Amino acid sequence: MREAVDDHWYPVGLLSGLEDTRKTLLLGREIAVGRNGAGVFVRDAAGRALPTVARFGHLWTSPGQPTRDLFTIPEADTPGRQLVDVGSVRVKCSPLRAVENFLDIAHFPFVHTDILGAEPHTEVERYQVDIREEVDEVWATEVKFFQPQAARSAEGGIKTEYMYRVPAPTCAVLYKTCPPRPGEWDVITLFVQPLTEEWCEVWPWMALYDDQSTMAEMVSFQQMIFMQDRSILENQIPRKLPLDPGMEVPTQADMTSVAYRRWLKRIGYTYGAQLVAA
Amino acid sequence: MGRLDFARCALLECVLRERGAVDWIAVGLSVDVPAGTVVPRRVNDTDMAIWCSAAGKLHAWGDRCPHRGMRLSHGFVRGETLSCIYHGWQYGMDGTCSYIPAHPQLEPPKTICARSYACNEQDQMIWVALAPTQAKTPDAEGRRPVRSLEITLPVAKVAEGLGHPMSSLMVLGGVYDLAVALQPSTQHSCVLHAFAGADQERKQVSRHLEKMRAELESADA
Amino acid sequence: MILYDYILSASCYQVRLMAALLGQPLTTRAVNFHPAKEHKSPEMLKLNPKGTLPVLQDGDLVLTESAEILRYLTRDTPDWRGQDEVWLSFAAALNGSIGTARLHDILSYDADIDAVRRAGVQHLRQLEAHLVEQRFDGMIFLTGHTPTIADIACFPTTALAPDGGVSLDVYPSIRLWMRAIRSLPGFIEMPGIHRLHELEAAP
Repeated sequence: MREAVDDHWYPVGLLSGLEDTRKTLLLGREIAVGRNGAGVFVRDAAGRALPTVARFGHLWTSPGQPTRDLFTIPEADTPGRQLVDVGSVRVKCSPLRAVENFLDIAHFPFVHTDILGAEPHTEVERYQVDIREEVDEVWATEVKFFQPQAARSAEGGIKTEYMYRVPAPTCAVLYKTCPPRPGEWDVITLFVQPLTEEWCEVWPWMALYDDQSTMAEMVSFQQMIFMQDRSILENQIPRKLPLDPGMEVPTQADMTSVAYRRWLKRIGYTYGAQLVAA
Repeated sequence: MGRLDFARCALLECVLRERGAVDWIAVGLSVDVPAGTVVPRRVNDTDMAIWCSAAGKLHAWGDRCPHRGMRLSHGFVRGETLSCIYHGWQYGMDGTCSYIPAHPQLEPPKTICARSYACNEQDQMIWVALAPTQAKTPDAEGRRPVRSLEITLPVAKVAEGLGHPMSSLMVLGGVYDLAVALQPSTQHSCVLHAFAGADQERKQVSRHLEKMRAELESADA
Repeated sequence: MILYDYILSASCYQVRLMAALLGQPLTTRAVNFHPAKEHKSPEMLKLNPKGTLPVLQDGDLVLTESAEILRYLTRDTPDWRGQDEVWLSFAAALNGSIGTARLHDILSYDADIDAVRRAGVQHLRQLEAHLVEQRFDGMIFLTGHTPTIADIACFPTTALAPDGGVSLDVYPSIRLWMRAIRSLPGFIEMPGIHRLHELEAAP
């Protein structure tokens, strides 16, 4: 049986940042997140303890009855990686819009100019997208895009390769070629806590091979990238993600987004989605 | 536009006329939208991107890129085109998409099109019409535009406060030779665009308008 | 010169922007302000007991006030100085209103959000009224025909107002003033303030 919206796992805090009790929202309902003598906890408004999982530097919870364990990212467990707690940023947009933007590369030259992309290198070549039924995830592979400065050590532009994975409706994982370690993938994630259907708290997290940068530099880089996206996300109309075709016009470059929308519709995940009025 | 849509627009126009609504709505001074720029404007809860091409041609479009819903008013003008800031989709004078940077070889289908509204420039003021209209843009009778100010009151309250029935351009009595056009933006706010006689000292008029706004807003508070 | 820097801070951006416009080399040291609160770490408190950013270090000199830093950077460039005192304090007021709303909306800082947004709107109205009069006199910048540290002090917080839920849509003169700053040679962007793509030729 398909999981209901309530039965998914959601990120609600950084394990390293849990101090006293913090009140926040999850799916429009108030929850309290914190740490006490007995460990970490999440409680709903009635004081009921909600299930928790500690993974990827974050505390996860679910207001419903999760039928599956929280997904894993085996690549992130390989030794030698820097695990980067990027911290959260609040955005007035649908959690699904935040995820969809993360899956998009065609905006790099215009929103992350001279960092992740630059004119005239705007072309998006055909890549592979599939909905993997056996794991119930969306995957995009063989995504290649021109990057002006792929790493601090890199001179001039290179073609960078990416893989995108959507393991849960409000989470996305990006695997990106790693200049110092050819053959390995850097792991960059976007975990989204849906505060309401049109407001979210975004928790990026990374597991990188990087011996050159300080932790503060890695955090700063990712916050810069995400805040460049935020000014887009807060200005899309409508705020919710339209799941039905017709309202927005995709092209071949949007294959990941098209698959993501189709998958959301198929699994019935419509929190933060706009459906055509019947 | 389909026949039915056209009929709907005509009907809407009749309804608006009966309610005493105005055909042309001022949305800003020409000097505030110089060549090569785009600005957001809200007219009766409709979001618009008003832009001026390098050659000086003005356009009023729906403030939404058909691709992913991004506001076009955040975009950029190059030559005679407006591009969306999100993915760089470029739109030509007729509102159709002319270039998609992700697919440089592709000729975009003509169906990808920004919504456009009637837009006119008169007396150095930009006017738009939400529905097709035969009416002429109002004549400021030689007055020059001074500036625009937002007032956080519904447009009807402002007209009432000024002691005038709502019309496209209202000539005010008083110390200064003033005429104002009100742009209803949301249910709770509007923008006042002011004209003054050519001999009026603009700084004095601007300060007078500030005072007028403060009085209108405090009278309501 | 070393700037202890936080990428999302409007006040740190002031310093980066000023140095870029002057063509002065500046070494930035990223400080993990959020989420790690590194600006309150023992090392940073030793440098700046107030525990705030930006901190500018030039040899033995350590400066911790944005206005002071702007004056220091322009000490040999009189063109960038004018009647700025009043605008440097106005910039601090903007930071208290709009800047607070921004920290509330992005990083969940505590604030009486309606009150700071209301104050922000009043500040923007004052700024707009002043710039309207400047434009009547044929000037686009706060104190004259060319930019000074007054403009650089007020620009970042103003331009980032939408981050805190304060719209800039209804201030035509502020928008044109911001555009003039963004068009200056050497201008650099920060997240939330993008460059003018129209200044580059279409490919």
